[in-house]
Amino acid sequence: MRSAMATAEVGDDVFGEDPSINELQERSAALLGKEAGLLTSSGTMSNLIATLAWSNHGDEIIMGTEAHMFWNESAGQAALGGVQTRLVPNDSQGRINPDDVAAAIRPSGNLHFPRTSMICLENTHNRCSGGVLTPEDTKSVGDVAHAAGVPVHLDGARIFNASVALEVPPAELARDVDDLSFCLSKSLSCPVGSVLVGSQDFIDNAKRWRKMLGGGMRQAGVLAAAGLVALDTMIDRLAEDHQHAKRLAAGLANIDGLTVDPESIQTNIVFFEVDEDLGTAADLIAALNRNGVLVSYPGKQSIRMVTHRHISPEDIEEALSRTSAAVRELRSAA
Amino acid sequence: MEVSNGEEGMSMVVMGRYGVLYTKPRPKSAETSPRVIDMRSDTVTRPTEEMRVAMFEAEVGDDVFGEDPTVAELEKKAAELLGKEAGLFVASGTMGNLAAMMSHCWSRGEEVLAGDQSHVVLFEQGGAAQIGNFFLRTVRNLPDGTLDLEELRSKLQPEGKVAGDPHKTMTRLIVVENTHNMMGGRVIRPEYMDRLAELIRGLGIRIHVDGARLFNAATALGLPPAELVKHADSVTICLSKGLSAPAGSVLVGTAHFISRARRVRKSLGGGMRQVGVLAAPGIIALEKMSQRLEIDHNMAKFLGRGLVSMSDLGVDLDLEAVETNIVFFGLQRSDMTAEDFVARLEKEGVANGDRVIVKMLPARVASGEVKVRAVLNHHVTHQGVECALIRIREILANRGGRKRKQET
Repeated sequence: MRSAMATAEVGDDVFGEDPSINELQERSAALLGKEAGLLTSSGTMSNLIATLAWSNHGDEIIMGTEAHMFWNESAGQAALGGVQTRLVPNDSQGRINPDDVAAAIRPSGNLHFPRTSMICLENTHNRCSGGVLTPEDTKSVGDVAHAAGVPVHLDGARIFNASVALEVPPAELARDVDDLSFCLSKSLSCPVGSVLVGSQDFIDNAKRWRKMLGGGMRQAGVLAAAGLVALDTMIDRLAEDHQHAKRLAAGLANIDGLTVDPESIQTNIVFFEVDEDLGTAADLIAALNRNGVLVSYPGKQSIRMVTHRHISPEDIEEALSRTSAAVRELRSAA
Repeated sequence: MEVSNGEEGMSMVVMGRYGVLYTKPRPKSAETSPRVIDMRSDTVTRPTEEMRVAMFEAEVGDDVFGEDPTVAELEKKAAELLGKEAGLFVASGTMGNLAAMMSHCWSRGEEVLAGDQSHVVLFEQGGAAQIGNFFLRTVRNLPDGTLDLEELRSKLQPEGKVAGDPHKTMTRLIVVENTHNMMGGRVIRPEYMDRLAELIRGLGIRIHVDGARLFNAATALGLPPAELVKHADSVTICLSKGLSAPAGSVLVGTAHFISRARRVRKSLGGGMRQVGVLAAPGIIALEKMSQRLEIDHNMAKFLGRGLVSMSDLGVDLDLEAVETNIVFFGLQRSDMTAEDFVARLEKEGVANGDRVIVKMLPARVASGEVKVRAVLNHHVTHQGVECALIRIREILANRGGRKRKQET
């Protein structure tokens, strides 16, 4: 990737003249069965652009209670997009119920009601332990949305994890949504960026919004070149990360004081709970850090571990033994 | 790190921490295609060989966790160079300006004053209102690029004065653009900034400098850039323009302001990860490429002198106004608009025996007239300007009919 970046053919992308970016955008769209694509600087930007493209100020968008767009995007949808977010429940796998969506979609013609402008899905689902939406799950929500004339945006930051876990082509996961974003900078291991794909009209519109947000970069082909390498070489290997995550979860389940269901782990994310009598997540995280294990997302009792290409099977075993050590530390302190 | 320079047309090999970098040899076909002399903007600049090597070698980490050492180094260097406490790498000048304005206008009911011909007003798609949710009021830009101080004085609505009046927005920020693009790459002098600072002293109003081309201003004045922005609370500088980095800008200000701007940047979607790959060429841009801008200015004057010699063909240019790397000229022709001219210029032609394509852009200026804008950059050499002048003369001399617009 470093070689590809350093030798990339570039041009001014604001004039549409960067060949590396153009190639990445075309290939991404084709891979996902859409007409066109757009390189952005982050998943947050892609998601915000989708909201701006589909919505006007004062509209309402629908998403799951555990959505990244709700939890971790600095309320940009409201603050910058001027829309209200309506939440419907996520199940433990990250799915939302099409009946809940249908009930939440606003009928038109009532002065009191905002217009429902967009439904958002997330696949894989971060806060739901990297859970996967199947093409059928996606279609069931898509059908309800489209019947009401509402577009569907898919936050597919980790869509390739879903595709590999399900062994279905990514285009099948994108078929029933109107637009989708995926991250280059996560497991695909590129330094920076996200790609938004959708119809040509949608992407033409998205380009305007991207510029307004300040995402109109110039010779960003240096970033796109890494993306092209990722599409070729970094997708199939995700299966290894999933295996490592399953092994990790199985190991954590065996540690007294921690709770996780290893059967529920589908991709590269493991959420586990810390038993209250042991301490809080923050307590365990401090102990883990002291033992050289870095983790994230402390909920009061929950901790997230994410596998990726820098975590080998040996690292997994090491992490498990150090986690045991950290738990023992907490127990003896208690 | 070993660097070996291959012979003309051969690969350059670099061996470093991350393995071996082979640069692609220039394809043979490039030698037979027409030479493109691209003066549409200085944003078209491509990274130098040194920058490419730096990208290959860059040490990176997740900058959202604050762990990318290269971008941290860039931000620190930029802040130091501009005499400010801290810096923030952003994807573009637009993002830098928007994040700055949003970070200054933190409460409801605040307004920003900016020039009516400024980039933030004309070319940032109204982000101030659409995304930032604050009022952007304009003040006339004078031909020298400054804001009309008398008009500014009359428009100031400092909080102390208007807080009790619910009709009025509270002026929180003034944006000064240096160099000023649409007024012709004009340089804003420290003396003006002193007068502006004096005007707003004690009123709780701050200054943001849109310094997309600040280093051009510093070069033209022979002053350190920090001197030009000493009264500014925040500054945006572009790395991707004359400084030739592939992408990005840096916003600088106080540590408190930058921590706010970091939050705003994240909400805009500008929280990039291993962005050291962009910061590494950015450092070279700041340290090395800032030192060569005088060449671009000389090329601009060279172009300008050539254009002035064509005033009999309808070219209208005040050479005194060419202070940096931007040249705006009018075309007083009844048979050809600026758009026609630019389109003809972009067609392949021959100059000095070489096939060339010369690119410029039409631009509507304050008076409503559409002029032609040329921006000099490191890809446009002396020879390139010579060829451009030959092509321009050829086009202007070619068409029959009246050469000058009829006086009405």
